[in-house]
Amino acid sequence: MIFENIGFYLREALLSFKRNPLMYLAAIISITAIFIIIGLFLLISLNFNLFLKNLESQLEIIVYLEDNISESEVNDLKKSITSLEGAKEVKFVSKEEAFQRLVKDLGDQKEIFSLLEKNPLPASLEIKVKDPKMIEPMVKQIEKFKNINIEEVEYGAGIVERWLDFTGIFRVVGISILLLLLFASVLIISNILRITVYARREEIEIMSLVGASSWFIRWPFIVEGLLQGVISALISILVLYKFYFWMVDKIHEAIPFLPLVVEKRELLPLGLLLILLGGVAGFLGSVFLVGRYINA
Amino acid sequence: MIRMFHVQVTYPNRVAALQDINLHIRKGEFVFLVGPTGAGKSTLLKLVYRGIVPTKGQVIVDGVNVARLKPRYVPYLRRNIGIVFQDFKLLYDRTVYENISFGLKAIGATNSEIRQQVKKVLNLVGLEHKKKTTPHLLSGGEQQKLCIARAIVNEPMILLTDEPTGNLDPETSWEIMQLLLHINLRGTTIIMASHDKLMVDRARKRVIRLEQGRIVEDLPKGIY
Repeated sequence: MIFENIGFYLREALLSFKRNPLMYLAAIISITAIFIIIGLFLLISLNFNLFLKNLESQLEIIVYLEDNISESEVNDLKKSITSLEGAKEVKFVSKEEAFQRLVKDLGDQKEIFSLLEKNPLPASLEIKVKDPKMIEPMVKQIEKFKNINIEEVEYGAGIVERWLDFTGIFRVVGISILLLLLFASVLIISNILRITVYARREEIEIMSLVGASSWFIRWPFIVEGLLQGVISALISILVLYKFYFWMVDKIHEAIPFLPLVVEKRELLPLGLLLILLGGVAGFLGSVFLVGRYINA
Repeated sequence: MIRMFHVQVTYPNRVAALQDINLHIRKGEFVFLVGPTGAGKSTLLKLVYRGIVPTKGQVIVDGVNVARLKPRYVPYLRRNIGIVFQDFKLLYDRTVYENISFGLKAIGATNSEIRQQVKKVLNLVGLEHKKKTTPHLLSGGEQQKLCIARAIVNEPMILLTDEPTGNLDPETSWEIMQLLLHINLRGTTIIMASHDKLMVDRARKRVIRLEQGRIVEDLPKGIY
């Protein structure tokens, strides 16, 4: 039935846009506004997530080595740590390198080193992990190697736990806000569609009285709802796209190295999500709203 | 064609609109429903097309128990029943032609069937020359004719009309009446709710009188 009559349904939907352009324009603008709000929220979350990931990647375990450790011992240790589950990268930092870094960090105050007779800094292994949750179990494993000339294992105890707590809360709050926004938008969109369906309740009633099946009555409205949802989603994507990249330029002018999501490939799912949301909201809204005027 | 057994209709928070209705209308009959406003004429018509279901009793239309009909079969019942409403229920943003074809399209007629049927029915009611106008440019009588055209376009077995001559002058009313009698002659069963004494008396058809939700009189060649 749907495929037989698809032309009729489309024509009916377009005709009703033409008969009442102001009403549909108002509906599309309102739905677009909701999508822009959801889109902005998603963009902000996406970037905040990137920011967190960046910080996360700086969390590491440092294994300080005793001065008398031999090169082969270092290599053995490096190998056994690399083979631990969760290790992403293990880097050896020699005494000399450590000293150079400190000198660089201190800048103008480097004269104080002239007081030292020898380099007081230990050599170390810097271990990057795949997941901050892996830090603690890894530290426990590494501490078992302690007999081989390890001076100390450091990993910012406390900070890691707080970090995990913080990102956990952030994710829960973010998802809650998103769900709330989605719920609100479904309510608002269905109310907007309610107005357009209400305006045509007589038509629905007449169709029902001449013996049209309820799906025959529904389809033009469903096509219409789908079109409204998808058109609104497309407009909001266009607006968000322009605004976002303008904003990214502005931010990079002010803070050049702030990591922001600029890959269009990464932004694509967001656009698809909005289109899907528009389609689903329009579809479901129409199905349920038209139902109440059928068989009246 | 239509039978009712001990039918009662009670609207929410109101007294019974119809009580203990028993009637039998045969195929091809022309029946007037008369009685004061609020007597239950419109309610009785609604029972036939399942605009409402009876609170008690049975309504049989063409062998089908309407009260027990599942909602998804209601459209098929209605395809056999044409309805002409007191308030027309026309779509004022569509042409005369579209108002009629709309109903046919809704029941799945092909385009050539639609063209043929609409032309035929427009000729019958005499609106062929106005098919491209919109209803608000038509006179009251013409709008009523359009309603009748829409109601009979798919050749239903039953035609229900609720006060079709309610707001028309006597001459136009008689024209409408003639049209309905003509449709009846072709075999369509017609039930017409009416206040129009002149029409009822002139037509000399079966008259069922309702008062306070009960049938108080049922005469084969009655007057108002």
